Amino acid sequence: MLLLDYQNVLIQSVLTERFSGAPPAHIDQTVSDFDGVTFHISTPETKTQILVSLQIRCFKELVQYGAQEVLQREYGQYVVPPETGYDFSILVDLENLPADKEERDELIKKISLLKRNAMAAPFEHAYSEHYKLKEAASKYTSEEAPQGVREGGEVMAIHYRDEEAIYVKASHDRVTVIFSTIFREETDRVFGKVFIQEFVDARRRAIQNAPQVLFRNDPPLELQGVPGVRETYGGEVGYVTFVLFPRHLTPQRMPDVISHIQTFRDYFHYHIKASKAYIHSRMRRRTADFLQVLRRARPENEEKERKTASGRTFRVQGA
Amino acid sequence: MANQTPAVVMDNGTGFSKLGFAGNDSPSFVFPTAIATKGPAGGSGGTGSGRPAVANKPSFLTGGAGPTGHLSMKRGTEDLDFFIGDEALAASNGPGIAPRILTPTLIVRSTQDGPSVDICTRPGYGLHYPIRHGQVENWDHMERFWSNSIFKYLRVEPEDHHFLLTEPPLNPPENRENTAEIFFESFNCAGLYIAVQAVLALAASWTSTKVTDRSLTGTVIDSGDGVTHVIPVAEGYVIGSSIKSIPIAGRDITYFVQSLLRDRGEADSSLKTAQEIKEEHCYPVSQAPRVPPRGRQVTVDVGYERFLAPEIFFNPEIYSSDFLTPLPVVVDGVIQSSPIDVRRGLYKNIVLSGGSTLYKDFGRRLQRDIKHLVDDRIRASEARSGGAKSGGLEVQVISHKRQRHGPWFGGSLLGQTPEFRSYCHTKAEYQEYGPSIVRRFALLGGPGGS
Repeated sequence: MLLLDYQNVLIQSVLTERFSGAPPAHIDQTVSDFDGVTFHISTPETKTQILVSLQIRCFKELVQYGAQEVLQREYGQYVVPPETGYDFSILVDLENLPADKEERDELIKKISLLKRNAMAAPFEHAYSEHYKLKEAASKYTSEEAPQGVREGGEVMAIHYRDEEAIYVKASHDRVTVIFSTIFREETDRVFGKVFIQEFVDARRRAIQNAPQVLFRNDPPLELQGVPGVRETYGGEVGYVTFVLFPRHLTPQRMPDVISHIQTFRDYFHYHIKASKAYIHSRMRRRTADFLQVLRRARPENEEKERKTASGRTFRVQGA
Repeated sequence: MANQTPAVVMDNGTGFSKLGFAGNDSPSFVFPTAIATKGPAGGSGGTGSGRPAVANKPSFLTGGAGPTGHLSMKRGTEDLDFFIGDEALAASNGPGIAPRILTPTLIVRSTQDGPSVDICTRPGYGLHYPIRHGQVENWDHMERFWSNSIFKYLRVEPEDHHFLLTEPPLNPPENRENTAEIFFESFNCAGLYIAVQAVLALAASWTSTKVTDRSLTGTVIDSGDGVTHVIPVAEGYVIGSSIKSIPIAGRDITYFVQSLLRDRGEADSSLKTAQEIKEEHCYPVSQAPRVPPRGRQVTVDVGYERFLAPEIFFNPEIYSSDFLTPLPVVVDGVIQSSPIDVRRGLYKNIVLSGGSTLYKDFGRRLQRDIKHLVDDRIRASEARSGGAKSGGLEVQVISHKRQRHGPWFGGSLLGQTPEFRSYCHTKAEYQEYGPSIVRRFALLGGPGGS
């Protein structure tokens, strides 16, 4: 498994089972997803009505950037007022499903992407802002462009974890996405550096189409003056900047790019952990090899002193 | 609790792994504890999976390239090329076909029925079972199995969650340490608690209406797919010296049903049918006849395997010739070999757990049989003592709704209590004391807890 899935497997499997015409059953499951997102799948009133609720830490910020509209667009008729304690809910009536199997699969897919869609809002916002700015910038040459167009839009901050955030900024020729990452562990930091370096080098070496990646320990210039960005302390915080160029910014590629970039942090941490597992595997292997060497180094028949109960020893004569 | 992430409860058994979040009433995922890796099946390299293959030269002379296709030779992303659970079974069955197979036993069938193609030699994926007899055998595979369960299925960042894992009774402490190493060093998990399955099964029985006091004293009958254990637990501690295991469990019942079907010349006597009959239709005889069941076979009409199958727990001689002690006698023996001051509690709280105890009225039948044994003994000792009267002994077998995933449910129950986190060992503690810290855990849900 190289890439993480975008959808929530549990929601997918529960809905697939329910939609397949299995007898309705009571469901009440609270499940987590990455980044402290909590889902609640339940059948509050009747067994045929499945309520899927989402709780996400930064929902307020997301709404600010238009999450409500994105979700409304995606889920439309299924949206219901949010369950208490959650930020967003959709209700699916099993008796009212699309008749076509493909449509049903599509619906399952959509619902399992609930988290992705909620988080997509700021990115979509940035995309549309980029289009607007591009439009505006095309009227000027680069020197005489007014300040607003040259500088680009405001920085959108999404504090999706306690100490980490995503910053998105659109300008007329690019969209910049900055992740602030924090590492508690010394070893993780080292692994993380190696990985990021790979990202930075990838573009230089082979993949010219890749977005530009920059890594630094102090806040990049784009984030100057953004509230909540603290000066770096102790090198624990790093800033990973992705620069999306126009080739990534076509409307056709938008959904893929958004999904990819959202899972970056989890992907990053997953691979740090996977490489540790790989190293552990090699360490175990090496230990087993050394043990084998030790076993082989042992003399065939070790000379043991044999004693009788009274403490006398024997020696085989002529041996 | 609003801002707290739920604890992750993982119960990795020999046959199936149960994964989910604390607070739910059923595991989110139940799939075979199987991992399919690129290359042939069977233990190549790794620790524990048999002896490492003998190289002509020590591997540090050959640059680590032993004769086996071990991961450490690979330089690409081969270490990520694997599947777990149902996907593993599908992948190992050859690329392209990918049928949905539910149980490991069916694998055997598909190889037999197929045009004599050996799975092991087929290019593609080899299937491994990292857990044998409840204990982790191959840590390489287990580590990757866990990694995939966490990131692909549960989708959690281990640094944000506490983990509750289970272990079989009499698990060597070294295994615990290995587990802790993986969870703290690879995954950086926030906190770890390792509980004994039997104790969790006891906790799961608290949901039954028959249980009045939430004690952790009782006898657990844990019957899964491979083996049946009878485990006495006193105050949350397993009485290791008294544990007995019975080599009859779910798989044997399936085989037995199959053989009955074959004897009768049924058209379909596959393992799958046998399993279905076992799971859907079997029940133990509530009025156990005193005549040996062997004699009854002749007179009973079609469908006798319905009650004959669970009967092998009570009269094992109908199935096996080397193990002949009925389950009630084993349970009685286990309790009699436990310290005398806890025996009363052990008789009073006999808890069933595992898939093979799900037969209707299994508990009642067991209770009746054990009661008979106990009463007989009391009567005999009353007669010997000459007139002394015994106050009697209460025997109670508790069956409840959560039996199938008993240990997992118990974990879910205990994992959602507010004090669970304080019972966990954290990464900081691990680094302070080293892996040996996980040899001891404070007793979760014990006296003093809620």
